[in-house]
Amino acid sequence: MAYLAPAEFVTKMVDAGESKLLMSTRDTLIRAYMAGAILALAAAFAVTVTVNTGNALVGAMLFPVGFIMLYLLGFDLLTGVFTLAPLAVFDRRPGATWRGVLRNWGLVFAGNFAGALTVAVFMAIIFTFGFSEAPNAIGVKLGHIGEGRTVGYSAHGAAGMLTLFIRAVMCNWMVSTGVVAAMMSTSVSGKAIGMWMPVMIFFYMGFEHSIVNMFLFPTGLMLGGNFTLMDYFIWNELPTVLGNLVGGLTFVGMTLYATHYKTAPKRAAPAASARTEAKSSTRRALA
Amino acid sequence: MPPHALPRVSVGQHSAAGRNGPNQDFHGAMLPAGHLLAAKGIALALVDGIGSSRVSQVASAAAVRGFLDDYYATSEAWSTRRSAERVLGALNAWLHAQNQRGDARFDKDRGYVCTFSALILKGRRLHLLHVGDARIYRVHAQALEQLTQDHRVRVSDEEAYLGRALGIGAHVEIDHHDWEAEPGELYLLATDGAYTHLDAATVHETVAGCGGDLDAAARMLVAQAHDRDSEDDATVQLLRVDALPEPGADALHRQRETLALPPPLAAGMRFEGFTVLRELFVGPRSHVHLARDDATGRHVVLKTPSVDLQDDAAHLDRFVLEEWAARRIDGPHVVKAATAERPRRHLFVALDFVEGQTLAQWMRDHPRPPLEAVRAIVEQAARGLQALHRREMLHRDLRPENLMIDAAGTVTLIDLGSVHVAGLAERLDAPQAPAVEGTLQYAAPELLLGEGASERSDLFALAAIAYQMLTGQLPYGLDAARVRTPADLRRLHCVPLRHHRPELPAWVDAVLYKALQPDAQRRQEAVSEFVHDLRAPGPQFLQRRPVPLAERDPVRFWQGIALLLALAVVVLVALRVLGR
Repeated sequence: MAYLAPAEFVTKMVDAGESKLLMSTRDTLIRAYMAGAILALAAAFAVTVTVNTGNALVGAMLFPVGFIMLYLLGFDLLTGVFTLAPLAVFDRRPGATWRGVLRNWGLVFAGNFAGALTVAVFMAIIFTFGFSEAPNAIGVKLGHIGEGRTVGYSAHGAAGMLTLFIRAVMCNWMVSTGVVAAMMSTSVSGKAIGMWMPVMIFFYMGFEHSIVNMFLFPTGLMLGGNFTLMDYFIWNELPTVLGNLVGGLTFVGMTLYATHYKTAPKRAAPAASARTEAKSSTRRALA
Repeated sequence: MPPHALPRVSVGQHSAAGRNGPNQDFHGAMLPAGHLLAAKGIALALVDGIGSSRVSQVASAAAVRGFLDDYYATSEAWSTRRSAERVLGALNAWLHAQNQRGDARFDKDRGYVCTFSALILKGRRLHLLHVGDARIYRVHAQALEQLTQDHRVRVSDEEAYLGRALGIGAHVEIDHHDWEAEPGELYLLATDGAYTHLDAATVHETVAGCGGDLDAAARMLVAQAHDRDSEDDATVQLLRVDALPEPGADALHRQRETLALPPPLAAGMRFEGFTVLRELFVGPRSHVHLARDDATGRHVVLKTPSVDLQDDAAHLDRFVLEEWAARRIDGPHVVKAATAERPRRHLFVALDFVEGQTLAQWMRDHPRPPLEAVRAIVEQAARGLQALHRREMLHRDLRPENLMIDAAGTVTLIDLGSVHVAGLAERLDAPQAPAVEGTLQYAAPELLLGEGASERSDLFALAAIAYQMLTGQLPYGLDAARVRTPADLRRLHCVPLRHHRPELPAWVDAVLYKALQPDAQRRQEAVSEFVHDLRAPGPQFLQRRPVPLAERDPVRFWQGIALLLALAVVVLVALRVLGR
């Protein structure tokens, strides 16, 4: 199982970010839609496992299969592009602008939401026999997950909002670490292991993931959760998106870029400044 | 070399004069060994003179000998077609010049004129080159399939003359096609003295009757033609394809397979006779280090495959290819291979170290450069590209990071890692240049649609770089990189240069606009034409078309509109007040 040197996979991250900006609208939407749908399905699966076994750890341990699947199929989650796309702008790749980054985020958000919503409707149909009877045990559980994580936060006011935001930051710190870990290895097994660890952590710890929530809350609303659409957006989805953005960018994207890509001169090396100067001029020259 | 690394054929040939004097047919076959066989293939050539001329046999002999000698002397980088057509063009010009000097100037029937037909087997493909009325057949179990067209103009049943042949005009059009050969196939080349008196059954019986001896078969076929009242010179060549190289069995492939993957390099390390000095760049495709050659003390750049792509055979092949190409290009504007011709144990590329800054850096240092500075750089980069194009190579990854500018202002093309070599692609069984290899931002739109690369794709990249140097922007933003369908192509809209640099002459805009056309056919034909236009624009670029104010100076336009609206408001308010 090959392991890539940090300098190599960080360049790969910047390249990946660049390729997100270069993606056509159609491709961006399709890939985002599929990513949202697969992740939503994995969330439904994890909740089902948790309810059936009564043990949340089992659900969390199995949830990463969805994430691994969608990554290996080359689909894009909003959490991932939050981390990767800005790197192309930091690195001044030709044509990379913040406008392009916002366009990509907007498209991926829309695609993820549509995909998650589709699965939400499908799962609601399954749990209620086409809305012909009351939801089964899993449906009830799904219906009420949303309450604590919307109305629950709003009951605490500003403190609730802060908690929600920090949970979202922590979430994408972990999830983006998973994305990066997948780049470190060249083999499918290596990628899968790399993604599995951080994604399990975020799911078990109950951190707020904007796309998982795009499934949990709409299903909850359909299955009789006691919260409103407005509660969902103001007291969950929007702060979660912002938290995910901050978490992915600060803890993963910018840190790795700063330390492994724009490597500072080694302190012990003599004439270090002269070296880095020569390096920056010939950097990427022969890639 | 293992048996199946190169094509193997059997050849038989025979020629005999007819009843009227010297044999004006001429034929030849070249079965080189080793390196030349892989690089240029096996060639058979057959030529028929014209009976009315007394010097035609001189022309025939010169054509066959000249072709077989010169074809094998052409660049390895050239495709078979280009090599053969260049050689035939030169032969034709020579024959034509002979005619112009003598009596034949007024009577072509007495001149140095002959037909020409050749088969070349290179790699797994057969190439046919043909002009005149000799014929090439594929021999099937039941029939003879004629692969050539007779360039013969029929006046009446008795009278016909050659429509096209070598030596008639200053230029000659040569038919060319190529196809995948199959082991066991038999081809027959014959002049009219032979084929008019032979049929499929005779050919079959004769070949079968002679066992494996194709020479004997050719001799018997010629004899039979003469027995059947052929009065003309008769020549027969037979080519049987015995074995073809297995795909991927080319010497270059094997050279790569014998080399080990290099360990990760680090400063101070000794590696293959080099001392690594420092890391220049580590990326997901390759690692690049500066090193010193221990033998000569010269600085070289070592490029080794990245960990990520160590299992990617196609990527590793490019490492062999890059140095192969760099060795064959000689020009001041293209990076050279570091000359160390030592046996190697590892797979890496050693290139000359070009000191200086990349064009990407230069653009940051010079945000609004004068036109002349841009032109100087574009012209040098173009010369580098032309050096490649002359060898039928395409760079395919031209971008600012791949152009180095040294202290004296000399521009050098570095990184030939994506180069496509026509002559080599034929050997490696991939005649079409595959689409995108390089950076999407500078890739010509046709590549994103999956069409093959051409010299005009390199031209597009060069023009895009010129545009970016002048404006700091890409001509189509990122839209060109997002092209997926022909409809996307039509929607592409290039922001005119005057929006960014209104002080530049309008014709610069027009020249760049032409070179940046999404449709490759509408661009300049060659890089040289673009460079020439950039310095001496033709009249089509100088025509001034009236540009509407809204486009020429949008700020002034909207200011005017706002002023008019403001006036209208004042008038309306005044009317309201006065109307009371």
